[in-house]
Amino acid sequence: MTSIAMNKPGATVLLMGNEAIARGAIEAGIGVAAAYPGSPSSEVLLTIASVAKEMDIHAEWSVNEKVGTEVAAGASFAGIRSFCAMKQNGATVTADFIVNLNMTGIGDGGIVIFVSDDPGSMTSSNEQDSRSIAKWLDNPLLEPSDAQEAKDMVKWGYEVSEAVKLLTFVRGVTRISYTKSNVILGELPEPREKKAHFPELWDMYNPHKSTFTAGPSLVAHKVLHEKLEKVRELFEASAFNRYWGPENPELLIITCGSCTSYCTEAVSELKAGDKVGVLKLGTTWPLPEKLVAKYLSTTKRVLFVEETDPFVERSVMELAARLLPATCDLAFYGAESGHVDPYNEQSTDLVIKTLTGILGITYRGRDPDYDREAKETLKIVPDRLINLCAGCPHRATYWAVKKALQLDGRKGFVCGDIGCYTLGFTSPGFFQMRTLHAMGSGTGVANGLGNLKRFGFDQPVLAVTGDSTFFHATLPALVNGVYNNADFTLLILDNSATAMTGFQPHPGTGELATGDPATVVDMEAICRALGARVEVCDPFDLEKSTKTLLRMMAEDTGVRVIILRRMCQLLKDRKKIPREYKVHVDPEKCLGDGCGCDSLCTRLFGCPGLMWDREAGKAAIDEAICVGCGVCADICPAHAIIREEATQ
Amino acid sequence: MSDTGKGVRELFEEVIYQGLCTGCGACITGCPYIVAHEGRIILLDKCTVVEGECYKHCPRTYTDMDVVSKKIFGVPFSDEELGVALDVYMARTKDSEIGERGQDGGTVTTLLALALQEGMVDLVVCTKMDEDKVPRGYLARSREELLQCAGTCYEASFTLEGYRSIPKDSAEKVGVVGLGCQLEALTKIRQYPPEKNANPDNITLTVGLFCGWALSPHVFHPYLKGHYDLAQVVKFDIPHTPHYSFDVHTKSGIQSVSLDEIRPYINPACQYCWDMTAEFSDVSLGSAGSAFPGWNTAVVRTRMGADLMELAKRKGILETQALPDQRLAHLKSIALKRKKTALENIVERTGDKNDLLYVGNLPQGMADRLLETG
Repeated sequence: MTSIAMNKPGATVLLMGNEAIARGAIEAGIGVAAAYPGSPSSEVLLTIASVAKEMDIHAEWSVNEKVGTEVAAGASFAGIRSFCAMKQNGATVTADFIVNLNMTGIGDGGIVIFVSDDPGSMTSSNEQDSRSIAKWLDNPLLEPSDAQEAKDMVKWGYEVSEAVKLLTFVRGVTRISYTKSNVILGELPEPREKKAHFPELWDMYNPHKSTFTAGPSLVAHKVLHEKLEKVRELFEASAFNRYWGPENPELLIITCGSCTSYCTEAVSELKAGDKVGVLKLGTTWPLPEKLVAKYLSTTKRVLFVEETDPFVERSVMELAARLLPATCDLAFYGAESGHVDPYNEQSTDLVIKTLTGILGITYRGRDPDYDREAKETLKIVPDRLINLCAGCPHRATYWAVKKALQLDGRKGFVCGDIGCYTLGFTSPGFFQMRTLHAMGSGTGVANGLGNLKRFGFDQPVLAVTGDSTFFHATLPALVNGVYNNADFTLLILDNSATAMTGFQPHPGTGELATGDPATVVDMEAICRALGARVEVCDPFDLEKSTKTLLRMMAEDTGVRVIILRRMCQLLKDRKKIPREYKVHVDPEKCLGDGCGCDSLCTRLFGCPGLMWDREAGKAAIDEAICVGCGVCADICPAHAIIREEATQ
Repeated sequence: MSDTGKGVRELFEEVIYQGLCTGCGACITGCPYIVAHEGRIILLDKCTVVEGECYKHCPRTYTDMDVVSKKIFGVPFSDEELGVALDVYMARTKDSEIGERGQDGGTVTTLLALALQEGMVDLVVCTKMDEDKVPRGYLARSREELLQCAGTCYEASFTLEGYRSIPKDSAEKVGVVGLGCQLEALTKIRQYPPEKNANPDNITLTVGLFCGWALSPHVFHPYLKGHYDLAQVVKFDIPHTPHYSFDVHTKSGIQSVSLDEIRPYINPACQYCWDMTAEFSDVSLGSAGSAFPGWNTAVVRTRMGADLMELAKRKGILETQALPDQRLAHLKSIALKRKKTALENIVERTGDKNDLLYVGNLPQGMADRLLETG
């Protein structure tokens, strides 16, 4: 693999969008990069961290996106270009800081925040459109349409940022972050000459002239809006906004980001290039109004294609209203008119469908047999349910949780948050999770539920959180619970990694983003210091964890913490930690299906390493998938699953 | 009133959630979905078996009394007060060790110990209290193990989980000692042999225990724990009338409370029980309502029961004497009253004289007679 820091200006390399973002930041000469992992943005910091030492960059996994942005701001104040990456949820987390940062402005070092959205919420709990956050925060917003633009926009984002002393948002989506395309590399930065230094602008004779303190700030608010007007001027001339098509198109498509390719392909597929023009905007907030007005005047019909909110659409409609009566003859098609779905991802097919409808043309894309053949082909692909991995400690944890809650019998339930263990809301977690929102929110919600005794509330409340999530946003909720004497049991599912996003280290793991050793932040000691009762269990010890849960739930006041500690199986594999057991099924002992066990192991426990041999009507182990955790031996009622110490 | 096509879901909907569970233990063990925990039967997860043994074996799902009776005794269901009975008399042990440790006359322990000794059974499914005085099903394979099970705790005890824990391939001859509800379940296990558990044909002896009611363990046990140091308790007893007390024998003496304090903990399901004298047994024994202190009343129901009693007498470990007519009449009257009350309670619940819940296929007119007489 070629290094992302290769010094070959002009070379064309195949890069994933997230790598291109990293390269852009490197080319821009950043000194500090921070991020909290989250799909689809996680690889950006991983990529930067991989060359952090050679490029003299401080790269860190911050505990959350707000802290990450604050880290970037600190560097900026001392004159260092800095960078922060996050998924869409993170933009909301960090917004509180940025709204204040916009009052003071940033330092001499520019800041670019890369936010990757997840239309269709393929790996998220929502499909929030972060562009609206940039808008209400009053920050410049760029939207790349491919990896090349992603790199170039990040680099240019620093110029914009430094020109107006505001951080610049670059918004990606899953298809930008995870699509690989050719990128022509730019120059690497010259070695840094300036020493980082916090500006000594404070003057004892004029003490109010302080640089970075947000205060009562009517003036600062006005200044902010003036800055945005300056940004708008920069955007008017930006080469990231492009038009192609006839001079006076029958239909003008205004699009941006990932939808650019879909529109290009759709127009080409429909051979409608003589009728349809495409205005692709790379700078979507503030809107380059003069540019847009110019193209609005060339047509009578305008179609907006974007993911997910009608963000550009509404900006342009506002503009059109101001341009009246010049725009009174214009027909607008988009999410507002029902022609474009403002949910989920767009695609070439969807754009074709929209275009054929508006233009009144017919399109036969495929051979009529194609659909039939595709359906036939699909039959040979086995159905796969969303599942936790073979040997996942969370499955064992939820098994114990399910049993403990049923035995307890008071209709207790689990409040959850974000991580692999989110699957607790569905079959791999036996449907135990009943609330699911933001990072750390299970614990916060448990705080509320845990103080309802006076209203007759008598159900035990469990909260689950991951080890990384614990540091991200659970800690304040835990402190709150101890302080306000909330009655709940917190389960910290400590699998020694930010597993869902790719095993990134966190404060509890003893490892930095660069792989260097770090101080281990001891979550058990933290919980004890807070005054919570703490127990540590191995989730694979089903009996002990069930009993501990039952006992903790039976205690009826205050915050109890159970740390269920067991390394993520995938991480174990990566670290080449040998498997513990060799597992097999004794067909003589296996009850088979029907009364006796009703294929509990495959039907309910559902580890992918277990198979049901339909012919024999017995369980079997899928040797290719089983990782030898041995937990299934404890759930088999007939003790037919045998685990033996693995011989290495 | 069909018992086909029903499984665990119906078991919980029709029996357990309805407060009809007697706590016999027939549905637990071997099944990963149903467990007993702190005196309650709990469903852990969804079982999809359409026709579950849990439902078929439950003594509170529809039971064809006639079929069961023919299976056990080879004769139609008896409408006599005490059920099928060859003989009724009084008995007490002459084994001093058993006499000290047994509840009343020690007859039950004497008979079972003899059956083990003579190889009539290889193991006895019985009930044993653990250190916390929680009764659970237990398999006793020796006199010593049997003696550990002597004495009663008056709580529903899931005894049949012991039966279900016998391995499928076991050829051991099985004796079972239990209450009426437990033996009803056992007869249904014999009627519908479990596919994946031990063969019920190996059951060679059933000893019934008279029962007035049992206490609900999930409420009574916390009460006990709250009032007594259970590690110090050696025996629970409800002495013969005219005493009206629940006695807790501890290492430092007897603590006695009025039965009125205990009665609220009676399992509500017991009000629907028709079987005071454990009719589906080879021999059933008890003291309530009939015998003198230190004696048991024995209702001998089968040849097997009679032979065992005879053998015990011959060996000099059991003495017997006739039950006075007046006492027998009294026993019959309370057994009849139980049947009558149970049916009345059932009809009050179902609102339909033809829907007697689990009590199915009684002899012609029996239910009407019981429900009509004043």
